[in-house]
Amino acid sequence: MLLALLLAPFLLLLLYFIVRPKPVTIPIKNRHVFITGGSSGIGLALAHKAVSEGARVSILARSLPKLEEAQKSIRLAHGVDVAIFAADVRDYDAVQRAVNDAGPIDVLVVNQGVFVPQALEKQGLDEIKFMIDVNLMGSFHVIKAALPSMKSRKDRRQPASIALMSSQAGQVGIYGYSSYSASKFGLRGLAEALQQEVISDNIYLSLIFPPDTETPALEEERKIRPELTDIITSGGGLLKADEVASKTLDGIKAGSFSIPFNLEGRMLAIATAGVSPQSSFLMAFLEVALASLARIVSLFFLWSTYRRIAKWHVQKKGA
Amino acid sequence: MVFITLLFLALLHLLLYFVVRPRPVTIPIKNRHVFITGGSMGIGLAIAKEAASEGARISLLAHSLDELKEAKQSIEKAYENVNVSIFLADVRDYDAVELAIKEAGPIDVLVVNHGVYVIEELENQELDTVKFMIDVNLMGSFNVIKAALPLIKDRKDRGPASIAFMSSMTGQIGTYGSAAYSATKFGLRGLAEALQQELISDNIHISLIFPPAVDTPGFEEARKNMPEISKIMVGPDMMKAEEIGKITVNGIKSGKFCIPCNFVGQMVAIATAGLSPQRSFFMASIEVVFAGFCRFLALLAQLKVHGIIQKWHLQKKQQ
Repeated sequence: MLLALLLAPFLLLLLYFIVRPKPVTIPIKNRHVFITGGSSGIGLALAHKAVSEGARVSILARSLPKLEEAQKSIRLAHGVDVAIFAADVRDYDAVQRAVNDAGPIDVLVVNQGVFVPQALEKQGLDEIKFMIDVNLMGSFHVIKAALPSMKSRKDRRQPASIALMSSQAGQVGIYGYSSYSASKFGLRGLAEALQQEVISDNIYLSLIFPPDTETPALEEERKIRPELTDIITSGGGLLKADEVASKTLDGIKAGSFSIPFNLEGRMLAIATAGVSPQSSFLMAFLEVALASLARIVSLFFLWSTYRRIAKWHVQKKGA
Repeated sequence: MVFITLLFLALLHLLLYFVVRPRPVTIPIKNRHVFITGGSMGIGLAIAKEAASEGARISLLAHSLDELKEAKQSIEKAYENVNVSIFLADVRDYDAVELAIKEAGPIDVLVVNHGVYVIEELENQELDTVKFMIDVNLMGSFNVIKAALPLIKDRKDRGPASIAFMSSMTGQIGTYGSAAYSATKFGLRGLAEALQQELISDNIHISLIFPPAVDTPGFEEARKNMPEISKIMVGPDMMKAEEIGKITVNGIKSGKFCIPCNFVGQMVAIATAGLSPQRSFFMASIEVVFAGFCRFLALLAQLKVHGIIQKWHLQKKQQ
């Protein structure tokens, strides 16, 4: 114990020099923030927040009426007009047109996503394909369309950001989320690799890991969520969209690779830090110091989860 | 001091013995039906040969009839009395996969091993290539599982069954050039974690195998066209397909969720344990004890990676 306390400052100092990428601050004011899935839920909340911080905001979504409504709500709240672009992220040509029309992007928030929870055995292949196409392939479309202009932006000394909306289901696979988790885990592989490819262009990747957030999409999802999924995820916390938006923007501005929320989220982030980058030497210290505790907590979570699963099946058989 | 540490470790062991879920399991191979996708060459063929040597009935699925015939011959030559069936299908075609699997009959061990990889900077990679990898590696795996699940649940001996996914160390760490490939392999992990929770009550056990670079025709092809930086990061060392075949079959038999293939792989597995199940209380203790150390090593690895990238860009500028 004493040894640990003595070593701590050395570890902190060491980590200060080790952490890569080096810490960075990414300004939002007067910069171009482009948000996909920006007409509702977290995306819309992000648009509001970015506008309130002086950014020039563009939002992309499928439905023009919803986009116009979103535009109106932002105009009412902040007196500012956001640019709106209607496109389905599955359609690369449409995405490219929108991105070109919007102009060079400083902060790209790849936030679009769909989720249909269901045990894989019962889930239709078309639903699986839907989630993979929108959440994963769609993200590749958006990034491919935006990357050239981000790499060749005029002021390269100012760092840029590509932020991907993941989920706690992108940190742990849960009953009923096999396809959703597959798509969100995929974003992490994408982000870890891409960070190494764009660091020399002063572009920083961020992954956002919210828990359940009060949005229209969550309401829909809750209606069809399998009972066991609910049982396992109970106690995961429910956040408001603007809380998530606030912390997301803070994380983007700090160039954080992983942006977690609430206490469970932070434990999850430490447990799943893996080999992902960490720019903050303080966070790196916490990750190293608390890794063992995080794994113990994870093992307990799994113990609890599998017991609940077994219990539920026993009850079902009895019924 | 030493005594307290040992006592603590002993208590930890004891605690974890009771906590680890799902409980450990042994999955027999002899006289059982092992179905391997991508089984006509490389790692798939090595797995087939290893399973054949242990007395399993083998089915191979691949998309080249010539390769399948050759594979069948080579297995039959090596092992007397082995029963090898071959099935032709492209994993992207659900109907063809379903037909093949129904013909093959009830399955005890499903090895989802097929995969394609093209290592390239995302900026330079064609979206068609990205789509190709997602369709084959991820969507193709969903197709195979969906088709096989009824036949696994229908297995003759009601003993423990296995679904094993061939991942890669690139499915634990995203690296330069692997954005799309890592996306697909990370995705398999999300799928596997969720699927295990869904199938545990059917006595079906999930495994993920994480090989490093392996000497196969597939890898040779990818290496030819890899970016310089990726080549440097992969390094010259390769494992042999036969080794991976053995490690895979042994891992499947012991019902391990994460199956690393060498020492470095084991360290990476500890760093990336996240919330994946650990069925061996001994390995769980190792994970807990070394979690912090492995995260520290991971941060050092990031330092090294960024050093390589910086150096390479510097050299390019000078030219």
